[in-house]
Amino acid sequence: MSDFSVIGKPISLIDAPSKTTGQGKYADDLYMPGMLIGKILHSPYPHALIKSIDASKAEALEGVVAVVVGSDAPNKYGILPVGHDETALAVEKVRYVGDNVACVVAVSESIAEQALELIDVEYELLPAYFDPEDAMKAESDLIHDHRPNNIEKDYHHVFGDPERGFAEADAFVEGRFIANEVTHAAMEPHATLAYFEFDPQTGNEGRLIVQSSTQVPYYLQHKLSIVLDMPMQQIRVIKPLVGGGFGGKSEIIPLEIIAAVAARKAKAPVKITYSREEVFWAHRGRPRTIIDLKTGIKKDGAITAVAAKVIQDGGAYCSYGVVTILYSGALLGALYDIPNIKYDGFRVLTNKPACGAMRGHGTVNVRFAFESQLDELATKIGMDPADVRRRNLLQPPAVTVNGLRVQSYGLPECIEKVWSASQWTQRKGKLNAGNTGPMKRGLGMACSHYVSGAANSIIRSDMPHSTVNIKIDRDGGVIIYTGASDIGQGSDTMVAQIAAEVLGCKIRRVKVIAADTDLTPIDIGSYSSRVTFMNGNATLRAAQEIKNKIASAAARKMNCAVEEVNMRDDMVWRTGKKPSSNGAHAEDILELVDAPRALSPETGESPLGTVREVSGRVEGQILRGSLQQKRKDEGPKDRMSFEEAVVTAIEVNGALSGTGSYAPPTDARGGKHKGGGVGPSPAYSYAAQVAEVEVDEETGHVSVIKMWAAHDCGRALNPVSVEGQVIGSVWMGLGQALQEEFVWKDGLLMNAGMLEYKSPSSVESPEIECFIVESVDPEGPFGAKEASEGSLAAAIPAVANAIYDAVGVRLRECPFTPERVLSAIRAKNGEKKISMTGGVDPTNPHKLREHGGAVVYKGKGPKRHEQDPSRKAAVVPGVTGD
Amino acid sequence: MLPSFQLLRPRTIEDAVSLLAKHSPEVQIVAGGTDLLPSMKQRLFSPAYLMDIRGIEGLQRVRVVPGYGVEIGALTSLSTIEDSSYIATNYQVLREAVLAVASPILRNMGTIGGNICLDTRCLWYNQSLQWRKGCGFCIKKDGDLCHVAPGGKICWAVWSSDTPAALLCLNAEIEVADAQGFRRIPLADFYTNIGDARMKLGKNELLTRVFLPESMSGYSGSYKKLRMRDSIDYPLAGVAVAIKKKGKQVQDARVAITGVNPAPWLITGADHALIGREVSEHDAMVVGELAARTAKPLTTSLLTPEYRREIIRVYTKRAVLQAFQAN
Repeated sequence: MSDFSVIGKPISLIDAPSKTTGQGKYADDLYMPGMLIGKILHSPYPHALIKSIDASKAEALEGVVAVVVGSDAPNKYGILPVGHDETALAVEKVRYVGDNVACVVAVSESIAEQALELIDVEYELLPAYFDPEDAMKAESDLIHDHRPNNIEKDYHHVFGDPERGFAEADAFVEGRFIANEVTHAAMEPHATLAYFEFDPQTGNEGRLIVQSSTQVPYYLQHKLSIVLDMPMQQIRVIKPLVGGGFGGKSEIIPLEIIAAVAARKAKAPVKITYSREEVFWAHRGRPRTIIDLKTGIKKDGAITAVAAKVIQDGGAYCSYGVVTILYSGALLGALYDIPNIKYDGFRVLTNKPACGAMRGHGTVNVRFAFESQLDELATKIGMDPADVRRRNLLQPPAVTVNGLRVQSYGLPECIEKVWSASQWTQRKGKLNAGNTGPMKRGLGMACSHYVSGAANSIIRSDMPHSTVNIKIDRDGGVIIYTGASDIGQGSDTMVAQIAAEVLGCKIRRVKVIAADTDLTPIDIGSYSSRVTFMNGNATLRAAQEIKNKIASAAARKMNCAVEEVNMRDDMVWRTGKKPSSNGAHAEDILELVDAPRALSPETGESPLGTVREVSGRVEGQILRGSLQQKRKDEGPKDRMSFEEAVVTAIEVNGALSGTGSYAPPTDARGGKHKGGGVGPSPAYSYAAQVAEVEVDEETGHVSVIKMWAAHDCGRALNPVSVEGQVIGSVWMGLGQALQEEFVWKDGLLMNAGMLEYKSPSSVESPEIECFIVESVDPEGPFGAKEASEGSLAAAIPAVANAIYDAVGVRLRECPFTPERVLSAIRAKNGEKKISMTGGVDPTNPHKLREHGGAVVYKGKGPKRHEQDPSRKAAVVPGVTGD
Repeated sequence: MLPSFQLLRPRTIEDAVSLLAKHSPEVQIVAGGTDLLPSMKQRLFSPAYLMDIRGIEGLQRVRVVPGYGVEIGALTSLSTIEDSSYIATNYQVLREAVLAVASPILRNMGTIGGNICLDTRCLWYNQSLQWRKGCGFCIKKDGDLCHVAPGGKICWAVWSSDTPAALLCLNAEIEVADAQGFRRIPLADFYTNIGDARMKLGKNELLTRVFLPESMSGYSGSYKKLRMRDSIDYPLAGVAVAIKKKGKQVQDARVAITGVNPAPWLITGADHALIGREVSEHDAMVVGELAARTAKPLTTSLLTPEYRREIIRVYTKRAVLQAFQAN
């Protein structure tokens, strides 16, 4: 993009060297003198009252400093103001296997582990609920007393006239889809270090400092203040490097609160790092979801109405649940032009780890169902699936029937890109001609979209969602203070690029100080793909403000109007007086004045850094100041270096700083209906994908040969970063499509580890051909929108549709594991039935499936309540082959 | 975290077996450690002594003994076997099985001896101490019942390594040492088919060498492995086939399965079904049927037993055809 000098370039992420060399510090790398280690005792029961906790033996163990229990910090918190139902450690009751009961703080991890074995907890068992449809029938022994029928929240929305829409339809399809539960599996397990400073006046404990692997430092500061009864300004939250979040660190995870409470009780710094198993229990992933979907269509392909009933198996706490269930309904809109929508959503509590936000929050499972059903409808009316999608495009600018404002809309171009690159017309449905072997190929298409940040923040207010400060001092360095949390997605680089572009300086001048609540202004966090759009806009405005100061000072110096001042590539010049050669770059100007001998003999240019060497002195600033003075007297008067311009501006202003903030415009904040605050966004990203799969008809194994993925991100501020996000989204989506799922048995997570939870390895991650579509949003920074989430959802239905193209089976339960695929193929071919999917037909999944085997609680381990639904339904499997 | 233990580091077989005699049954042998160390973190093993045998000289190589066969030291890494052109040329099924083990990095550490002695696995067993407390323990560790076969008093933890199936096809023998000396036994007699007492290796004994007879060299081979990821994962079902042809007909054939029973298992009757035939798809299916009937998968893993048994059928057919069609 020739109009820009920094953005649109595939530059390396600015934190890449520290991560690749190991210099950078993640939370678990942190250490402090006197630091203690915390280990958490977890519940072995899915649902039980705590009658007593006796920690005296643990406290007596040498090396144990403190044992923390629920009563040490009983204040309730939760990420949503409507969902304050968690405590640091269980108070009175545990609600899932893995719930947090107590925390031992000791001088070493091994002593802490030993001490855990010495804590005696007496429980009284309660019946537990594992299937949301069962949980909804419960009238007693509720998971939370204030939630009748274990329903966290239900919404019932009608937009337009769905009944009339279905009456007008020439065809409709309805069916049940099930998407099983998946989790983020970020590479870095959660870790938190918490400690108190001493109050210099009283000597008592003073300010709390928490360094944690979080996507949301500001919310963490807020919730710590609630639980610890401290003012927010007495709490400092610092985000070190974070090794991936994907939503799993977008709310307050128990260890973050526990570490702070433990540090208070132990009067010493406490670090807690989760084991991988604990990460699975902390979870907050994508809930197991039942989707009853009905869609009507006309013969020409126009969708007339959609009705969806969605039940989410939310786990034991609210977490983001209310938002998730609302997204699932709201994001039925804004992808296609759908005139009539009916939505019934139920967020249900069950005795399992809490589900929360995960990449593509709320939209993914419903999108799987919708895009699959759209292909069914296409078959029914005899239309090409690509054409059905083209037939239902929005005409932006538009406001959807459910109140979502769409301005930029690159979906048509996304579809064309993948349609053309995959040679859709020539290949779809034709890949198996003459192939009598078991390996069948197929193509499938699907689309998806996502918000570029929620237009309404969790804590509703008119305050900005992001504020950014920029300081430039006489050294010519640009320091950005942003609350944006870089969790690997590249937000630090994004703000640096935007500031450098606006200021016309080189990116290496820019330093980013981020996500430290003492130093950086508030940004509400890295979630809902909001950071580029919102923090990017705040950065843009801050940089613009500071640029105006520099430009007006430079204009005065160059005797021209402000409008005539140009800033780019570290140069400032009057219009028409642009320095022509590379040799005129900022450092080079300085050198040419004073030190021509420093030019490199090879290139004839002066390498960076030689400036300081000209007089053998290292006091760069003084030297530069004198150089600048010299040039001021002797140099040309119609151009100057960035540093000269900065000094000029400091001379005029006294100090150079700029600030900018961003709040979404009111007309993007959605409808007034109950729950209408979730779904609206200032802009939506769009994605279209084609999957090519190979299905082994004898084993049911599906391999993805290739994906073509187009993503409309508005403007690619950093194309290589955008591609990385899109490819990562598609791969993550393929994990959910083909192999990742939580497997449950009576509330026990059977695969709480990276060996049995089958995240794809590099071997299963196929080539993704990525197309960036730039629709240039009118409100995004330089037109940019989100790039990190919107592509995930399309991957799952694209694969489902490709499997249908390959072997003619319609899978309505994901992941499409080989046993599910084979079972469907055998049924279609009329082969002898082998029950290989636990009694659930993957083409018509009617219930949630539990792992086989029998938990017979007669051993040395814990029992279950005899009214526990799982006990009544205990299945005794036979020995196969006998 | 690993439990604490005292580390023993013998330099000779004699030292090793005398340490075993002195400290058993409180000693656990570790070679590559790829399987044992994660299990120790889960408290499936908390030995007082851990004996690291990697320093024992002379057990890290593949040695060809002309006129006799091949001797492989128990400490030979799987990647060393993978890189051996002699093995690749003469014992194809072993190379195929080695290549299917875990990932290249794990094969650099993992040894053939460790793979032969690998612990049996079960979804109800290979879990953390905390998890097993929540479940109630099982017969294989700390408990008194089996969750896989209700009421069952027998452990059904499943054989979960790849190479023994290939070694059974090759009539391998193993050498075991103790303080009294060495003994040699056919590998086929080494396994018990009992999940919690998987092999006949005494507490004072050490596996030292594997022998492949020369008579089995030159068999074409194939190994097919079911797993969710084509890296890392243990076999959910595995089939090894070795075939010797005379002209266009099968002269000898051996088929073994793994990942579905508490021991790797030679399929009896597979040779009769194949010898003298120009193997057709139907012949291969017959062997697949035999293998599927031998397989007794249970709910020891995340894929259903019914599916795994079906895959034994399909993979056996494919492996037989592939081995037959190979040179």
